[in-house]
Amino acid sequence: MIPTEALLLVAGLLFSIGTLGFLIRRNLIIVLASVELMLNAANLTFLAGSRIHGGPDGLLNVEGPIFALFVILVAACEAAIGLALVIAFYRQRQTVDLEAATELKG
Amino acid sequence: MVNLLFYALAAVAVACALGVVAVRSPMQSVLNLLGSFVCLSVIYLLMGFQFMAAVQILVYAGAIMVLFLFVVMLLNLTDEPQRKSAFLELFDARVIAALAAFFGLVGVAIAVTGQTATKLATPGMVPEGGFDEIEALATILFSKYMLPFEAASLLLLATMVGVMLLAKRERAGRGETDQIGMDVHGGQS
Repeated sequence: MIPTEALLLVAGLLFSIGTLGFLIRRNLIIVLASVELMLNAANLTFLAGSRIHGGPDGLLNVEGPIFALFVILVAACEAAIGLALVIAFYRQRQTVDLEAATELKG
Repeated sequence: MVNLLFYALAAVAVACALGVVAVRSPMQSVLNLLGSFVCLSVIYLLMGFQFMAAVQILVYAGAIMVLFLFVVMLLNLTDEPQRKSAFLELFDARVIAALAAFFGLVGVAIAVTGQTATKLATPGMVPEGGFDEIEALATILFSKYMLPFEAASLLLLATMVGVMLLAKRERAGRGETDQIGMDVHGGQS
């Protein structure tokens, strides 16, 4: 059995790498990819948590996979909307550089 | 054996994640993301969640990756320009924020697993690989989580409409045809 601590460590690493990418990259597509990475880390945490807590009848608890399923669904929606926004942004500015988004800058 | 495989996969997943962040070309970055997804899928398999592994491959490595690759190829992007003194910028506030996120998460994880260690499932209770996951998932999804399930369909519909609106080319004037060449005003003209 894989130790839960190791799973949570991997999830933490993936999440913080995603955070790093979200913060330091300027390419909109890679920023979105970093968000996907963070959502994946959350999924791994849900599954790890589900594995260590048994269900009511002594079987595997499936609440974790249910939540992971909903996270995947929301991630798919988010990717679709985000990439549509990237295309709209590119059409307007001919770039996907975040630095070019200065519309709301004070 | 399982543990060894897990550590190897975890190392590859983390390396691919680092690749997503570090690589300059968007195409290579997205392909690194694909590698990370596939490794995670096999990790789910090792944990005994076969259905989640399948969903991970189908939705993430299939649908979402295609979407990303499609946009990268459609926009024909060039590599991000090299920054001046990238090494010095490595220690700015954003990197520190990411490091703080990591250590915070690990701290919480250690605290939580330490607390619940007494009521952990015994290793023999969860048959690794021998559990009818789909049946249990479907039973709970269509009873206890019926409302979120229906709300999810609404979310998908809203996403579809939103994406169509966003991605549609702005019309220059009335009576124009839109992007796919359909007559906007139906059968009038």
